[in-house]
Amino acid sequence: MNTQHLLATLVLSGICIADVYGSDKDVYADFPITTKGYTGKAKTSVKYTGQTARHVIHNALKKLSSAGNGTANPGLKAQLLAYYEGKEAGRAIIDPITNGKFIVKQTIIDELSKGKNLSEKVYKGIISGWPGNMTGPEVLAFMIDKASMTEKGYDPLTGYDYTQLISKFIMGAVFYNQSIDNYLDEKLGPQKKPNNEPYKKGAAYTGKEHVWDEAFGYFGTPAHTMKLTAKDVYDIAKKKPEALIKADYNKDGVIDLKTEMAYGHAYYAAGFDKKGKTNYLHAITQAFLDGRNLIADAKGEALTDVQRGQLKAYADVIATHWEKVIAEAIFKYAGSTYKDLQKLKTVVENNGDAVAVFRDYAKHWSEMKGFALTLQTGKKNLGETAVALNRLAGFSPVLLGNTQISGVDANGDYTQKTSDSLEAYMLHMLKIQKLMVDEFSIQARVNDVLSSLDGLAKKLSSGHSAEND
Amino acid sequence: MITDLITDLLNTFFNPEKRVFVGYLLSATLLALSWLMWIERQGLQASLKKIFSLSIWWSTSAKADYKIFFINKMVLILLSPLLITQLTVATLIFYQWHEWFPSRPQWFVSWPDWLIAVMFTSSYFLLDDFMRFYVHRLLHQWSLLWAFHKVHHTAQTLTPFTVFRTHPVELVIFSLRSIFVQALAIGSFVFFVGEKVDLITVLGANAIIFVFNLLGSNIRHSHIAIHYWKPLEKIFISPAQHQIHHSLKACHHNKNYGVVLAVWDYFTGTHHHSEKNQLLVFGVNEPSVEPDQLHSLWGMYGVPVSAFFVSLNNIVKKMLDFEGKREKIPRFSFVFSDSNE
Repeated sequence: MNTQHLLATLVLSGICIADVYGSDKDVYADFPITTKGYTGKAKTSVKYTGQTARHVIHNALKKLSSAGNGTANPGLKAQLLAYYEGKEAGRAIIDPITNGKFIVKQTIIDELSKGKNLSEKVYKGIISGWPGNMTGPEVLAFMIDKASMTEKGYDPLTGYDYTQLISKFIMGAVFYNQSIDNYLDEKLGPQKKPNNEPYKKGAAYTGKEHVWDEAFGYFGTPAHTMKLTAKDVYDIAKKKPEALIKADYNKDGVIDLKTEMAYGHAYYAAGFDKKGKTNYLHAITQAFLDGRNLIADAKGEALTDVQRGQLKAYADVIATHWEKVIAEAIFKYAGSTYKDLQKLKTVVENNGDAVAVFRDYAKHWSEMKGFALTLQTGKKNLGETAVALNRLAGFSPVLLGNTQISGVDANGDYTQKTSDSLEAYMLHMLKIQKLMVDEFSIQARVNDVLSSLDGLAKKLSSGHSAEND
Repeated sequence: MITDLITDLLNTFFNPEKRVFVGYLLSATLLALSWLMWIERQGLQASLKKIFSLSIWWSTSAKADYKIFFINKMVLILLSPLLITQLTVATLIFYQWHEWFPSRPQWFVSWPDWLIAVMFTSSYFLLDDFMRFYVHRLLHQWSLLWAFHKVHHTAQTLTPFTVFRTHPVELVIFSLRSIFVQALAIGSFVFFVGEKVDLITVLGANAIIFVFNLLGSNIRHSHIAIHYWKPLEKIFISPAQHQIHHSLKACHHNKNYGVVLAVWDYFTGTHHHSEKNQLLVFGVNEPSVEPDQLHSLWGMYGVPVSAFFVSLNNIVKKMLDFEGKREKIPRFSFVFSDSNE
């Protein structure tokens, strides 16, 4: 090999390595330490392991809530509460876990962050879309209690799928609320967690650096998202074997749950984006990166009003897109529920077996309802939109006897009242879809009941007619 | 605006959904040539001379058609964003059906997709063709609308571009008609039949309209009087029948409003067969239209507005004058007739 060949090989190798690892600006990692006087051993100021731990706790609750056997189960309830409100060491990671070639680096939650739970971070306001006039933490504790007594998280008498309700409500009342209503709202103020001070004594990160990182962590996307497609991120969250190579950014052969896994809202954003009509995942991630670069560029000095104004503009981009992701999810599951109701009606009319169809109906309704509750945990008061959404969805799906859950009595049991018919409830689902389009201008519109209208309108339309007869 | 205009112009000639798509113009030319040579026994040269006669294509009337064609394109570019979309109306209709039939009955569930597509395409065609007929009839019979539609009938020579000789008020009427018809068809079919509803298309155009246009729809506005076998003219309007619609002769007035189907005219007493060796003079003969204004921009854009207000004034006067004799607008009635048999 002559010198020219050697040089060319080296240059090409360099290009290949650069391509694999990309530029740092595209990865939410390795931002420098800017805290004045830091003397510790950390090499980067980025840290959101607590948020990752909470994502993993959420995943555990989702799995455990579907483990019931249909009778009162104190053991299961204790296990659920250990994750929800406990802080004990040694709690196992239940999901994601190693599955064949999809090898997960961590096995216990402490390896991510110690002493973390969800109950301390749940939105404390009243949840008006849920019966019983309960606060966020009360709703979750109530749901966990009920879930532990069901068979596989499902209660056929109420149509509640607690696995879905708990999961989606946590995504809102913890992840969305903490990120949007706490870190990206009040904690961006000049006095709260300033950038010219460490977040806490001895920390490698400044106040604003960590505030921003924690908000990012709750979104739940891999640090190298900008180097991935929406489908990649979706496949990673689904733990598909072929996604391993995409997830394993540092090429160590294992998935680091802290930086290489996708969770929660990022998974849903990716799910909508992979249809090709939206770009929620990358828009949100880019805004997080832009904001973090802005903070890093301040080099440990207090942010000026102009810098904070710019940071708030990035926060607005994140909040707007994130809200759309939730609205898209409501739209999607309202569409599924509508189709389930159509099937249910046919089965009932033909005296068929409605059990399986009702199960699907309960699952999709609960997903829709969970996201409907989530939407109301952001920083915005949704006013009449929230009222309309809660009234259209009701406290439960309409049951076969045309009844709906109306409240919770003093014993913690549900009460029911006569409701609209199943048929009229179909129209409610349609109106929920319309409400999401009208109020949030969503674009992906998965399971659009009216998609055929759109398709046909495009086929028929040849512009406005200028031709006489 | 300029870009939109160029795009729209290209679309007019290269989109098979449009009447003057080059393919349809070519097919119309071939049909006219075949008719003149084989049915009227004229030579090739004479036939070509008749089809492409400069006295037709470059007449004052035809030049006015070209002017109005360009101007209306610009008007439409400005008007289009202001008009409601058929999707919005279709959604409202879908919702209304849901209010009336909450259980959303699903019909033809067991039918194959192709049969449902045939049913939708045919139904939409019938509804559209009927509404074109009906609105056209109103344009003639209601003096307020005739004030505007008259512009189309002041054409003294007919070319395929005469279809564009239209007052902007009519553009709005036609657009609203299309929006309503499309929305009604889409909203109703999707509601009752479901997601299998589809439109059969050829090169992106409604298959039935594609066939209609390919079979010489452009000859309707020409001087080539292609007629059909009489029984067929009771079902389909021949080019010669539409030319009768443009005729100055009093006995031809208010006849043949249909576009594709003649049955609407046949059942409502406005049907008129083509005539053997028909030699027609086209245009209108009304005192409100000064001959020197027929093809001027003022005559085509301003005079109709003035005529509209004169007509409105007359109507208001008659309404206020209870003793006055009100001019009766012929009522829509179903009668079997064949006016010139």
